[in-house]
Amino acid sequence: MSFDINTVIADMLTAIKGSVDKDWKEVKSASAQFLERDKSRMEMIATFRISGELSQEDFESKIEDQKMIIEAELNALAVISKAMAQNAANAAIDILEKAVIGTIKAAL
Amino acid sequence: MMKSIKQHPILLVAFISVFLFGSCRVALVPAYDANLLSQIDATSKQVDKFYLSMLETTTKENDGRKYELFANDYVNIEVELNSLLTKNKIKPLNENSTRICEITLQLWQKYKEEHKEKNTLSDGLIKLNRQTFSDLFYAMQVAEKGKDMANNPPK
Repeated sequence: MSFDINTVIADMLTAIKGSVDKDWKEVKSASAQFLERDKSRMEMIATFRISGELSQEDFESKIEDQKMIIEAELNALAVISKAMAQNAANAAIDILEKAVIGTIKAAL
Repeated sequence: MMKSIKQHPILLVAFISVFLFGSCRVALVPAYDANLLSQIDATSKQVDKFYLSMLETTTKENDGRKYELFANDYVNIEVELNSLLTKNKIKPLNENSTRICEITLQLWQKYKEEHKEKNTLSDGLIKLNRQTFSDLFYAMQVAEKGKDMANNPPK
């Protein structure tokens, strides 16, 4: 059994693509949920300001808080993205390891 | 075996690679922690109950929402948030979850101070604060799900 680096690289790329494709739906679903929640919160702030339930001071304070909430959401998405990169890298390493071990076994 | 290596120099590279890559795994996120997720869920429920009870069982009239009546609950919840922050901080590769906890704690303390200063809270502010924390706890849960995804990639 020969070690064909081109085949191994191609298999590694396929593994990376497969892994990213599988994990992508998680990123998409979380992003959609965050956007929906942001929209709902912003609507509440606007509605309460218009109805007078929120003072101008409270309104400005709540708008300021939105930056922090969005920062928190982006941090959550960063964890999913890192997990996705981790899965993809490990899938590629698995392919390389298997190819190398397979070649050694065949040669011994 | 030596003959095989001489015939196939690539095997030498392969041996070195196996040595280098053996058990080599990329780690970008910390391991999933089911206990931490349980604590996030429990604290999230505690905060939800705190604001829902305030909204449903009290009114602004007759000092019904004065700070003193809720001080103990504020303290109990802040203790849980501090605990979550500490547990997140001590984990390596966990700066994203730590930041989410810092923001949650910062806003909790801010809203507590606002309640203390005004000594009351309108229905609108209760609803908004409740929504804010629901969204922040959701962000924490999503981050934990990400860690679980890294340990158990979706099939």
